[in-house]
Amino acid sequence: MSLSLAASAIASATVLASEPSVSIPTADVPTAIPPAFVVLAVALVLPVLSRKLGHALGVLATGGVAVWALLAPAGTYLPVTFLGFDAVLFHVDAFSKLMGVIFGFIGAAAVLYSYSSEARNRQTAFALGYVGTSIGAVFAGDWLTMVFFWELMAVTSTLLVWDYGGEAVRAGFRYAIYHGLGGSLLMAAVVWHYTSVGSFLFSASDGIVAGVPAVLAAVGIGVNVGFVGLHTWLPDTYPRPHVAASVFLSVYTTKTGVYGLARAFPDGNLAIAYMGSAMALVGVVYALLQDDMRRLLSYHIQSQVGYMVAGVGVGTALATAGAFAHVFNHILYKALLFMTAGVVIARTSENRLKYLGGLGRTLPVTALAFTVAALSISGFPGFNGFVSKGMITAAAHKEHLDGIFYILLAAGVGTFMSFIKFGYYAFLKESKGSWNVRRSVTGQRVAMLSVAALCVALGLYPDALFALLPGSTADAHPFTLSHLGEGFLLAALGVAGFAALKKPLSKVGPGVDVDRVIEPLTFYGMRGLVRGVTELFAAVDRMAVGAANAAIDAAGDPYGTIRGPLGSLVGSDDDRLRDGSLRAGIATSVLLVVAVLAATLLGLL
Amino acid sequence: MTDAIALLVVVPIVLALAPIAFGRLWDRTGWLAALLAGLAHLGLALVVAATVFSTGRFTYAVGNYRPPFGIELVADGVSATLALLVSIVTLAVVVYARRAGPDTNEFYSGLLILTAGISGVFVTGDLFNLYVFIEITGLATYALVATGRSPAAALSSLKYLLVGTIGASLYLLGVGYLYISTGTLNMADLAATIPEVGYDSPLILTGFGLIVVGLAVKAALFPLHTWQPDAYADSPDSVTAYISALVSTAAAYALFRVIYAVFTPAFDAATPFALDALVILASVSVVVGSVLAVLQSDLKRMLAYSSVAQFGLIVAGFAVANATAVTGGLIHLVGHAIMKAGLFVGVGALAGVAGGRTVDDFAGVADRAPVTSAAFAILAFALVGVPPAVGFAGKWHIVLGAVEGGRWGVAVVAVVSTLLTLAYFARVVERMYFRDAAAEPAGDADGPPVDAPATDGALASDGGSGGSGVDVDPDDDASVTPEDGDGSAPDASAVSIEAKAVVVAAAVGAVVLGLFATDLVSVFEPVLEVYFE
Repeated sequence: MSLSLAASAIASATVLASEPSVSIPTADVPTAIPPAFVVLAVALVLPVLSRKLGHALGVLATGGVAVWALLAPAGTYLPVTFLGFDAVLFHVDAFSKLMGVIFGFIGAAAVLYSYSSEARNRQTAFALGYVGTSIGAVFAGDWLTMVFFWELMAVTSTLLVWDYGGEAVRAGFRYAIYHGLGGSLLMAAVVWHYTSVGSFLFSASDGIVAGVPAVLAAVGIGVNVGFVGLHTWLPDTYPRPHVAASVFLSVYTTKTGVYGLARAFPDGNLAIAYMGSAMALVGVVYALLQDDMRRLLSYHIQSQVGYMVAGVGVGTALATAGAFAHVFNHILYKALLFMTAGVVIARTSENRLKYLGGLGRTLPVTALAFTVAALSISGFPGFNGFVSKGMITAAAHKEHLDGIFYILLAAGVGTFMSFIKFGYYAFLKESKGSWNVRRSVTGQRVAMLSVAALCVALGLYPDALFALLPGSTADAHPFTLSHLGEGFLLAALGVAGFAALKKPLSKVGPGVDVDRVIEPLTFYGMRGLVRGVTELFAAVDRMAVGAANAAIDAAGDPYGTIRGPLGSLVGSDDDRLRDGSLRAGIATSVLLVVAVLAATLLGLL
Repeated sequence: MTDAIALLVVVPIVLALAPIAFGRLWDRTGWLAALLAGLAHLGLALVVAATVFSTGRFTYAVGNYRPPFGIELVADGVSATLALLVSIVTLAVVVYARRAGPDTNEFYSGLLILTAGISGVFVTGDLFNLYVFIEITGLATYALVATGRSPAAALSSLKYLLVGTIGASLYLLGVGYLYISTGTLNMADLAATIPEVGYDSPLILTGFGLIVVGLAVKAALFPLHTWQPDAYADSPDSVTAYISALVSTAAAYALFRVIYAVFTPAFDAATPFALDALVILASVSVVVGSVLAVLQSDLKRMLAYSSVAQFGLIVAGFAVANATAVTGGLIHLVGHAIMKAGLFVGVGALAGVAGGRTVDDFAGVADRAPVTSAAFAILAFALVGVPPAVGFAGKWHIVLGAVEGGRWGVAVVAVVSTLLTLAYFARVVERMYFRDAAAEPAGDADGPPVDAPATDGALASDGGSGGSGVDVDPDDDASVTPEDGDGSAPDASAVSIEAKAVVVAAAVGAVVLGLFATDLVSVFEPVLEVYFE
């Protein structure tokens, strides 16, 4: 059975089956064990293995997942009962197949890169745990399994950040808090969804239930994909850990988020589409201002993920296909960019662009790989980013979402500018100092060049990717004249823009992000809350202690305790109260009898 | 043999004359007459009870005037049980009073008149006759309270006299209203004629209100209880024991008869306010009485306020108006009489040992009078409602009945009262058992008992009844030597053998009665079946 038919049949009934020129072979693959478990098993044993063997196993496992996902026939699934609910540990359809292939492939490349970048076994073990849980999340066939792996992914990625120590620990805390909140919101959404649908299975409903669950899910996933306002963890965290860890981080969390968003909103959502375009623009503006290489790349993650979110939000078959094509391509070139940045940092021990320069001669392979990646991410014709970005903008154009269309184009110009800046400062500009550095090692070169090759290959021959995509690529025509012209125009604008803004840009700092508002707000809000709670607790404590003391006094001297209030109530001094009695005189007694009698008779009659 | 029911009243009255007639000839005439009367009363009560248990309820027309014009005496399971209770309490108090006083001929005369009055209340089947007996009871009680011979006792007696007379007068007024509207005074006859007049007749309603308020004064429900703590606290111990056991009991019994034999549950159903008001009055009485009891430092006052609470509970049981709750009220009526009499005798006895009768005076008293203290503690916990004692059986039925009848408030109040009862008794028992005496009451040179194990052992063996020297107060008993340890000599600071016997008997009785509570229920059952058919 041809995959394309199965893929389109499962992906969307409204989409006509596309007929890409390439069809992907299928084969019988073992389905007893979810692929995520294999990777997690390697992660578990890796710390006790030798570096070489451990990383080799890691490459094999992640690469195996890619091959497995590629060959697994659509519809393969593993139903189990999980926590007493029906769950599907893995479920292969067009979406998860694509995610599995790229996650596995880039995992293998990143493990290879880790090995060559002198990453320790423990870090790679955490990284493989992170990869494994991400694969588990994208292969999940139901919300429960997905949330389970989603939360584990947050944990393993935090561990991966923390493993580096130093500045990374603080950033890891923030990362953990954001993802804890996001995961909790998503979990609340899923639970709410369950109460209205009665099943966790994706197949039970068309996306997440509208209303509150949808909002909760959007915000919860929004943390992962870096919605504007929720994104500050991203540029803060990704530049901190080991360079190899950054490669992993740049790939999995945000892209799993995009995948989750597509699951939750299969028919798109205009608000999400606008949010995506805002992300694309905001991310690129901030990226342009950055000096730290990995921070610049991190803002580009937000920007590029913005394209994907916009694609998911637009929700047409072409847009969905474009979004996932962009996921695939973005993972390739962004991992490649982090690899090249990592090589630069590893060789120069310098994070900041303004102290670099002239590395094109000392690191030629790295420079080549960077050029490919930069052209890809910028969407230069002939590279893979051009194809997928074009699909999204075309889909937006086709839906007459002109706002989104032009914002995305503007973001494209910004992308060109910021990578021209990156390349110029790192590789082209005459260096003030002389770099006397070792060249990149073989493993790094293999990893970088193979990814770069894929970027070019898919840029020149997109049908290979189209065969994998969900949605429909029937309307995808990347190499029309207008598209090509659009690509070249954006590139030209980028060059001109950079030339014009080079001087001012170098004077402007990294910019004030929303965290400058959010963090003090959160800090003072939390401080106020904590102080309020503390004061309240103290007040309650004082009251409780007072009450306890009073109770002890009362138990020790009950008469004395009650006589005081009673005395003041009766309005007499203590002398008239003898030994705790409220002694009524004879007259009072008679009066009481009369009063009771009167009340009784009144009531009776 | 049915004359026995009339003799229950006649015998004590006749014998009450004996101390007056022969008292000048022989000092002990009074005690002997009282003892004889008590024994005779017991025999008569047993005969009545045997007749009731074998043939069921029976009636007796006094002077062969047939009711409804003549006076009718009625014996059924409830009145037979209470007549037996009167005999037992009378005998116990007579035994106790011989040593504890006031051991005078006048006292015994008054006691026997009171016995006759209470017996009359329990057996009469006539509403006006009931008033007569209530007045006999009241007058005898006023006199007995005054035998305390202190100014406080005189004042308390006067207060009781005024308030009690008003209560009795209200009752009489109520009876008058009923007589005007129905033309009869016989209870059974009234039960038949009141419905003919109509439950909404103002005469009937007013009569009901007057009778219930009058009896509530006598039963000392809050806030009509004001006479009661003074009267209990200022009377001699034997008088307190007697009146706490029987006088309010008689009033509560009268209330029970009036509600069920005269007005019947049909009236209660037609006039919901009547029982609602009674339930509220009784519940308030339970809570306030218990709280006031907690506040007391004087043990007799504490027990007096405890009675206010317990009678509140009993009346609440009556007012819930279903068979279970009323059974509980009756069981508690009997059980409370035994327990409270025993507790008052215990306080009187232990006060001699402790040198005072406040809570603090009782510190460490258990070491000096172990048997009496143990019996006192058992009675205290019995009144709290710890199984298997009779206090539990009564409260259990009341709570059960309240829940059955949907009177959740009563159930809650009963549980709360249990806790408060525990609060005021735990305080006493804690001091008795877990505190050392603040100072030796005698302050003598013999040293504290703990330093003298030999004398301590002697105390433990005889329960402190023998004057072993350690407890002797040198101020009062300087002449008493350690040699007179045979218990024959009166000893102010030791528990008399009679008192000990009475308290222990009460404790045993409370537990045994609790164990046979189901039999008690089956005795009351036929009576209540008639009312709740």
